[in-house]
Amino acid sequence: MSAEPAKNDVSFQEHEEKQEWWWIAEKRRSKRLDYLRKAVWKKGALGGNYAPGIKVDLDGPKLFTDMWRFWKFDPVMMRRAKSLAHVLDNIPIFITDHSQIMGYWGSAPHTISWRVDGASMVNEELYNEPGVMPEPEEESLRKVAEINDYWAGQTAVDKLARILDPEDAVKFLSGAIGWGAPTSAYGYSGKNYEYFLKGERGFEDIIADIEKNIEEAEEKCVGTPGPDILPIYDRIQNWDAMITVLEAAIRFAKRYARLARTLAENFETDEKRREELLRVAETCERVPAKAPRNLQESFQLDHFVQILSRFEASEGAWPARPDYYHGPFYEKDVLVDKTLTEEEATDLVGEFMIRVYEVGGFGPRWAREGMQGITGTWVWTIGGVKPDGSDACNALTTAFLRTSRLIRVSNPTFAFRWHPKVKDEVMRECFECIRHGLGYPSFRNDPILVANCMNWHGHPIEEARTWVHQACMSPCPTTKHGVQPFRMASATANCSKMVEYALHNGYDHVVGMQMGPLTGDARTFTDFEQLFEAWTRQMQWLLSLLVRTVNLGRYKDPEFYGRPFLSGITERAVESGLDAVSPVGERGNCWITAFTWVENVDSLAAVKKLVFDDKKYTMEQLINALESNWDGCEQMRLDFVNKAPKWGNDDDYVDDIMLRCLRTMAIHSRVMRCTSNNTWPAAPQNVSGNIHYSSVVGALPNGRRLGDALYDGGISPGPGLDKKGPTAVLKSCGKIDHVSDGRAFLLNQRLSPTQMAGEKGYQLWRAYMRTWADLGLDHIQFNMVSDKTLRAAQRDPEKYQEVIVRVAGYSAHFVDISRKTQDNIIQRTVHGL
Amino acid sequence: MSTCSECKSFFSREDEQGKGDCVLRVVDPRQAYYKTRPVNPDGDASGCESFQKK
Ligand code: SF4
Repeated sequence: MSAEPAKNDVSFQEHEEKQEWWWIAEKRRSKRLDYLRKAVWKKGALGGNYAPGIKVDLDGPKLFTDMWRFWKFDPVMMRRAKSLAHVLDNIPIFITDHSQIMGYWGSAPHTISWRVDGASMVNEELYNEPGVMPEPEEESLRKVAEINDYWAGQTAVDKLARILDPEDAVKFLSGAIGWGAPTSAYGYSGKNYEYFLKGERGFEDIIADIEKNIEEAEEKCVGTPGPDILPIYDRIQNWDAMITVLEAAIRFAKRYARLARTLAENFETDEKRREELLRVAETCERVPAKAPRNLQESFQLDHFVQILSRFEASEGAWPARPDYYHGPFYEKDVLVDKTLTEEEATDLVGEFMIRVYEVGGFGPRWAREGMQGITGTWVWTIGGVKPDGSDACNALTTAFLRTSRLIRVSNPTFAFRWHPKVKDEVMRECFECIRHGLGYPSFRNDPILVANCMNWHGHPIEEARTWVHQACMSPCPTTKHGVQPFRMASATANCSKMVEYALHNGYDHVVGMQMGPLTGDARTFTDFEQLFEAWTRQMQWLLSLLVRTVNLGRYKDPEFYGRPFLSGITERAVESGLDAVSPVGERGNCWITAFTWVENVDSLAAVKKLVFDDKKYTMEQLINALESNWDGCEQMRLDFVNKAPKWGNDDDYVDDIMLRCLRTMAIHSRVMRCTSNNTWPAAPQNVSGNIHYSSVVGALPNGRRLGDALYDGGISPGPGLDKKGPTAVLKSCGKIDHVSDGRAFLLNQRLSPTQMAGEKGYQLWRAYMRTWADLGLDHIQFNMVSDKTLRAAQRDPEKYQEVIVRVAGYSAHFVDISRKTQDNIIQRTVHGL
Repeated sequence: MSTCSECKSFFSREDEQGKGDCVLRVVDPRQAYYKTRPVNPDGDASGCESFQKK
């Protein structure tokens, strides 16, 4: 299919004036991209429910379970490797018309995959999930029940739950203080891109290295007896498992090659498409077996790795730096050798993103509600610097930005590593994406975050400079010792509970349980210091519980789960013969995702001001009001909203409390240690946790009632509470030390599309970004869609399918998020710069 | 009894004797694609709705 634009006959000017960028995108993109974009079955849940027609894939789970049962005497790594190989050899695969990049995590485009061995709770939820069973439903339910019966009690989470401290387990599972699962069955796998994605090696090279290691190890095993050779036996098994799965990966790719060749030789009548299919065949014969030679092979290698990783574990994030690793091939093919035209390259770049957009697995309801409209936090990192500190932006950086405006997918999104050497032309491309209402790229302050990587985890500067987003916000190097091959999402704290428990002596009135420590009856507190002391102890308790759980999960994971494929693409695992998840050789890069953080600050400030300073209310009155969810206390509630200082207005009264809270938490972040004996800094941000937790967090002194949406960002002011304009927001946020007060701090802002129009709009925004950089903030992201458009999309969703908004650390199509989240976004203050 | 090897959708593998792939065209509400899965050439085709004699 031609790379020409689909339609070019309608005046774009009219759409531009109305800022209907999605219509323009549809008309400007090539026919191929238009077809592929519209062909996607969206897997992101619409406000929490899967879209009609989405069915769970039962082929993969059945193949996997059959082999897992069969190889019951193998150690866990080998058992998983053989079971995974069986899936890769036998699962149905497909080639969509006009596509050029292969690989999908499931047996058909409309299927969502299901991780059978992660958690029995999730398996049971799937059985009861309406609408997702393939027809005939009864037969599918029988299959699911059979699989569930087999896995009951022996999934990774089941195994861990048996050894967790019972009190920790009950409190964690209450759902009140955090979410996630402490297993690598679900989580955020960092990738050691410096090892396998630099165009230097393919899987055959890795297999050859492993074979050499096995040979040397086997020699030692027949040598002098001693304790040093004892661990080698297990390592040989692990290496064998890595080889098993890497070889299966090569065969999996060759299945695509064979299908493409069969289609070219037997089905395809169009000469151009026949050539494309033969190129697909050649590509899939080449990678991942051997190192890539051109852009298509490089993209294909990357995509295979991502898909294969998901067949092994339900990865919830997609850490990537596509412009940096694929850029040299883009420049060679498009600019030097000219083997690809720019239009042809755009088709590949666009499809590379579309192939990601279509991927999705079955997730439990809490995850679907917490990440409405998407299936994972797939934030791709672009821009930044090279290890020597020079600008890493290249022609592919701008190609990605341009192409993203054509295809308007909500996953992946981009986060741009800004630094002082970024050229204006690149900034303009970034701005255009925001102006077109994508909500991305978000901006990350590279010098600050490199310093942050060094400060918290001791990464050397050259390694720190390779960083990618491991999930929405937290940086992680892609190097041998810097990469964190696995991060469990369960170190995600619902931080509003810290202040809630401090006010209720550790008791949770929503779940009806004593959760935190007994820190005293707040009615008897006579000064702010007593409250702050209670808050500190609740904070320490809450974070410690989550971190204990994750540390244990991480420590036991090689025994309870096992990642042979991830190990096979991780240099230190290939070298050592240990599971990549094992912390041996890892510097450590943990962080706590701090959801619903700013409520602590506004709540503490409100109590300080109205109770202890102004003495307008007593603690007795306040606690009574909170226990009744402010019922009958509306005037008092409004005082707590309006008469207490709020974060984001450059007011030291409350800003100092923010700093004190963060710095107290940072002390505890250094006390808690990870499995590599490194620190646990916090990264305040939400995905759509602010909506998910709205029915879990009780009434708070900032005036919030149970059920009200929480604040949307990590350090964003509450919606409508930032009354002094955008620069005051930046100034408040700039008081935070973004290197040492935490790992990363998410700031959402809404800008007026009318004000941002034209060159004047760009210059205004550039000046604002200079202030942002000067103040040393590590993050900012913008929504630039008018209320009018958003309201119209609420009324007529069919017409506004491609309107995108920035939700929190991710973007979603506006029509895919719940009404409550939609309203929350509309309520955010629109700033005039 | 008809077998997969007699079916139009069956393609034997050049490099793996005795193995084959079933290749079918699918058109769903959003896209059209070809899908494949491994089949045994001697597999029983009598219950297969997609069987078409070569
Ligand atoms: S499975 Fe059915 S369609 Fe496929 S080759 Fe066998 S008989 Fe033909």
